[in-house]
Parts: sequence; structure tokens; C-alpha cells
Amino acid sequence: MHCPRAARDPSTAAETLKSDGRRPSPQEAASCGWTGRGGLPRDPLAVRRRRAGIVFTLPVVTLVGILLLYPIAQTVYHSFTVWDGITSHWVGTATYSQLFAKPEFVQVLENNALLVLSIPVAIALPLGVAFLIQSKLRGWRFFRSVFFLPTAVSWVVIAYVAIRFFADDGILQHLLNGVGLGFWHPNMLSNERSALIAVMITFVWSMFGTNLIIFLAGMATVDQELYDAARVDGAGSFTVLTKITIPLLRRFIQFAFIVTLIAAFTALFSLIFVMTSGGPGYGTTTLEFFIYEQAFQTGDFGLASTAGVILFLAVAAVGLMQLRFFKGED
Amino acid sequence: MRKLIVGLVALAAVATAGASYAATSIGSGTVTLTLWHNYGTSGNTTATVSLAKAFEKTHPGITIKVVSQPTANYFSLLQAASISKTGPDISVQWTGLFDLKYEKFLLNLKPYFSAAEMAKINAVRYMAPNFNPAKGLLVMPLENQFYMGFYNKALFKKAGVKAVPRTWSGLFAACTKLKAAGITPMVYGADEQGIQSSPYPWYDMSYLMAGVLTPAQWKGLYTGSILWTSPKVVAQLTKWTSLPKKGCTNTDVLTKQNIVGAFTKGEAAMISDGSWDAPTYQKAMGKNVAPFALPFTNSGKNVTQYAGDGFSVMNYSKHQPEAVQFLKFVMSGPAQKIIAAAGLIPNVKGYRTKSPIQNEMLALAAKQGYAPYPMLDNVVQGEVVTAGSKQLDAAFGGDITPLAAAKSLKAALDALPASRKGPVYSG
Repeated sequence: MHCPRAARDPSTAAETLKSDGRRPSPQEAASCGWTGRGGLPRDPLAVRRRRAGIVFTLPVVTLVGILLLYPIAQTVYHSFTVWDGITSHWVGTATYSQLFAKPEFVQVLENNALLVLSIPVAIALPLGVAFLIQSKLRGWRFFRSVFFLPTAVSWVVIAYVAIRFFADDGILQHLLNGVGLGFWHPNMLSNERSALIAVMITFVWSMFGTNLIIFLAGMATVDQELYDAARVDGAGSFTVLTKITIPLLRRFIQFAFIVTLIAAFTALFSLIFVMTSGGPGYGTTTLEFFIYEQAFQTGDFGLASTAGVILFLAVAAVGLMQLRFFKGED
Repeated sequence: MRKLIVGLVALAAVATAGASYAATSIGSGTVTLTLWHNYGTSGNTTATVSLAKAFEKTHPGITIKVVSQPTANYFSLLQAASISKTGPDISVQWTGLFDLKYEKFLLNLKPYFSAAEMAKINAVRYMAPNFNPAKGLLVMPLENQFYMGFYNKALFKKAGVKAVPRTWSGLFAACTKLKAAGITPMVYGADEQGIQSSPYPWYDMSYLMAGVLTPAQWKGLYTGSILWTSPKVVAQLTKWTSLPKKGCTNTDVLTKQNIVGAFTKGEAAMISDGSWDAPTYQKAMGKNVAPFALPFTNSGKNVTQYAGDGFSVMNYSKHQPEAVQFLKFVMSGPAQKIIAAAGLIPNVKGYRTKSPIQNEMLALAAKQGYAPYPMLDNVVQGEVVTAGSKQLDAAFGGDITPLAAAKSLKAALDALPASRKGPVYSG
């Protein structure tokens, strides 16, 4: 087979073929010396662009590789070793067996699972408040600032405020005294389960501002005419929220979920460190805190790496589950 | 482009030279040693700073930069810095199994201290590899310490407590009288300079185990030949955890902060603490404070007296000879006098403290025939200590049973390899 004369020039070959309304056969592409994608002639400009693209992305790829992918690969490797921070030796899956044999690790996993339960609350509350603010209720500007405030405060400060709030003679107790319930001393930080609930409440509060802003930004993208049309059709506020706002905010809810999930699993270290030190007992020890304890208190970096891999898998699993959930909705 | 490359090379050269200069010396002919401690503002800090100043006077070519690190995560910081060899030249170490845990970062001082010198150090075995002084020395102790109680004389008098409790029964009797007088008998919680943000249970645990085991039997807790879940251990824990339930403590034992401040203000009659806080109490309360051995026993014959901390030279230090000179200085007569003047108990034989409260405790221990024990957390494995720090607190707060806490300690020990619980002490 001969190469068609009109298609010999690479710069016009694609156009020629397009006008023919066909793709070249493999034999035709070979006879013309076309090695591009789909058997088309290689476009020098496209090649240069692709090369430039690769060159421009190289620094980022290198950085991500060195600072993210390599440490992750190292962590996975060390999760199969006994490693004291200096020397390590391979023990295979023994570290995983050892980790799951620890009764406290099972409790740590339970704590993380319970923390996940707080995520819907950390989403639903700001979503509802964002809806009210979007409705331009009286004083909405003031409340928008107030609700966003925790986001601008460091976890350490939040933790100290939480200690003062939940302490035996703290603000919560004074509030209870004020409403005649002073006989009830919840002293939430002194009990394993109640301390975790206190951490969850603090976490929900601290994520409130971030999620609120995400939802307000999302609501600003919704066409106002949809609301007007719904009102004309006689829809109440609840119907508007559930039938218009929430479905149209699906992507924003998904984003808020991911942000909150990652915070719950990997950003609570300083809050827990200051607020409870993981106690009482292992009551508020989460996976990330457990990793710190294993690595830096016990000096068992191998086991800490193993727990790190478990944390990575847990976050990935929950993230994939929610992606699947929202994909189904689509 | 060429100019850019030349510029970058020049910058790199300057940076390298600068880093190298900073790492080795500040000022010509002057070596700067960095010393990390976790003493907060206790009497130990006063002693450390004074020792550094005195050393600088007698060693003109050497300066010491004393860095106070946070108590709660001091060893985490030190370990991380040591792995990357960016830690200090000299660090405060806790003795016993603590220093064995970090032995891989510590310089063995055997070549620098003769057998005669080492013999002058009280309880030197706890600063030696495998607790065997023949193998060398890892830590130069700063002081001799007690885990101990302090009581408020005025509050005892007000409640009609005439005899300082020495046994469980004495403690419960005192507790009843103090409560009747509206006084909180004992204050528990955390302190700003504390090891953790909840009570550190190993002060009490040392006395609890001393109450039922001999010093030699404590090795059984290390090897596992005496189970943490044995009836006598659990019985002691049960009595101890009954203290909050019986109203012998403040109600918020796990969450109360600044207990040292609370005690000095007279908010409670007794506190479980250590001799390092004696200067603080002495200063704040004068003659109204007195020491006692924690009475978690039926015999009233035990005391925890032990050189719990000191200085080590890091094996990655670039100034090891100078750092060793500082440790030699710490052992000298003038240095021991500085330690005594700071209100601490010198640990080198032949020197005495000037602190009235410390002398009272020493006299108590000597005259009343107490058997000295080391600090329990220094002679049982770190993993057990970590588990206990959490679970003993949980039991004390009434969250889990004493037996459940004991099982956690046993589980932590069981999970260790045989080499970590054999006949020879090992980090």
C-alpha cells in the first residue's frame, strides 16, 4: 500500500483524513511512516507540547516523589521490620500480628471508628446553619463571623478551651449549676467514653467554621431562580433544603466529608495531646496518637510504621466508600 | 544562566561553611556545648544552670548553652534529634532502664572515670550498662532523690491528725479526720512541669510494690516471675484505687492541673511527689511543710530513694572531650556544693544537702529504719511504664478495675521479646 500524496505532509495529514471521515488502517499508517496516537501522523507541535508539559511537571513530580511517595514506600517497607529508628531487620508480617494482638490497638481502632460517627454531625450542623445564613436571617453577617472563628484558632488553643469547658469545675459544670443540675458532675474528661465524646464534640465544633464556609460557597453557586421557582410552587424551607440545596451541593458535601475525614484521622494529634494525652487509659488514643506513642515514646518505629499503614488503608477505605456512595447518587 | 549557576555554587559554599562553623565553634577557640534538660523550673534547673556557670568560669574555652525542653515529650524530642544526630552534646537522662533504652545514643564513660571514682557514686549500678558497673558508666547522676509525700503541718493540726501516717490504716484514719474537718486529704492530678497531663502513677506504684515485695523481688516484676496480676499486687492496687472513692482525694484526680500550686495554697493536706519539688515547697510554705514516706504498706518500712537522673554525653557529639570535662566537673567537690546549695541531695559520697526538708527526709529514712528501694519505673520496662501510666490512671479514676489495669501491665510485659525480660537488665 502506498501513502496517499495528500497525506504525506504531517501538518495537513490529519485534516486530510478528517475530511475523508475515516481513520487510517495500520498498513496505511505504516506506509506513511505515521507513528502518532491512533495511527495518525505525529504532529511535531503536539509532540513539543507534550514534552514541554512533561518538563514543567517534572519538578512537582520530583518533589511529590521525594517528599510523599518515597516516605510512603519506606513506611510500607518498615511496617514489615523491627526498626528502632537506626537499624532495622525484616520480620515479615509478624509486626501486623503483633499489632492486632495488642488489646489497646483494638480499642484504638474502636476510637477511630467512633470518631467517624461524628463526621455526619460535623457535616449536618454547618449545612443547616449555612442554609439559615443563606436565608439572610437577621444578624447573619455577625453569625457567619462567629461561626467561622474556631477555624482561625490553633488546635492547641482549642484544646485548652475544651479543657476549661469540660473540667470538673469548668464552664460546663457552671452551666449545669446555673440550670439547677449541679448535682450531676459529668466530669467528662475523667472517663474513657465520655472523654472521647468530649473530644468528638470539640472536633465537631472546630470543624464547624471550615464546613460552614464550604457550604456557603456552594450555596452561592446555586441559581437563585431555582429557589424562587420552588417558592412559587409552594415549597417550604425544609423542602427547599432537602430537594434543591442538598442535591445541588452534593460535590461540596463530598469535599467537606473528605476534609473532615482527613482531619478526624490525621489532624487531631495536637488536640488530643493537649486535651487528654490519649487518656484516660486508651480512651482517646486514636491511630495517629498511637503511632506517635509507639515511635517516640516506646521507640518502636517498626510497629509505628505498621500502624501508619493501617491508618493509610483506613482513610483510603472510608474515602473510597464515600466516593462510591456519591457515585451511586449521581 | 552561567551567572545563576556560579551564584548558586557560591551560595552553597557559604551555607556549608556557615553550617560547619556554627556546628563546631562560636568565636575563635571557644567550644560551645549544648545541654538539654527537662527540669522545668524545679530545683534541678537551678542546680544545672549554676553548674554550667561555674564550669564556664573554671574552663574559659568552653561555654554551655542550657536548653530547657518540655517535660512531657522530652525523650521524644531527644530521640528524634539523636537519630538525625542533631541533638545536644549533653543531655539529662533518667537512670536505670531509661538510660539503657537510649544507650545507643550515649557515650560509655568507662575510659574517663576510674573504678575509684565510680565507687564514690551512690547506687552506680543503675547508671551502668546492664546495671553492671564493670561495663562502664552511662550517666553522671545529678542528685539523690526520693519519691515521697509532703504534708501540710497546719492542716494536720487543724484536723487533729497527730501521727504522720506510715501505713494504710494510718492513712485511712488521717483521711477520716481530715475529711471531717472539711480538708481534702490528698491532692492528685497533673502539674505544669509534669511528665504527663494526668497523674504520674509510678510515684505511688513504687510504694505500692515496696509494700508487698522486697527490693530483690522487684526483679521478678521485670522478668515476669512475679506476675503483675498476682493477688498481692492486685490487692495493693485495689486499696490504692479506693482512695478517690473514699473521698481521700480531690474529686477530679485525672483532670486537675497545677497540683503543686494547689498544695502550696493549702487546698489539700498531702501530696505525692518527689524530692526535686522540695525546694519549691520549702520556699512557698516554710516550716509548715514536712516530708513523709508514702504509707501504702502495712509495715511502714519502705522508702523510694534513688539517683533518678543525671547527665550523659551523646555519642554523636563533636565535642566529647569537653562534654566529659563537664561531667567530671559535676562530680567534683565545688559542683557537689552547688547541688547542695540548690536544695538537692548530692549523690556523690561525702557530701550533704543544705535543704532542711531534704535532711528531714534523709534522717527519717535513716533513723526509722526504712528499706530503700529504687524507683519502680526505672527498673521495669518502658513499655510496662507506658501502659501503666495510662491504665493505672484509668483505674485510679474508677474507669477500669484494678485487675484490668494489672492485666494491661502483664500484657505489655508478655508482648516483649525474651531478651527484654531475661536475667540481665536490658534496654
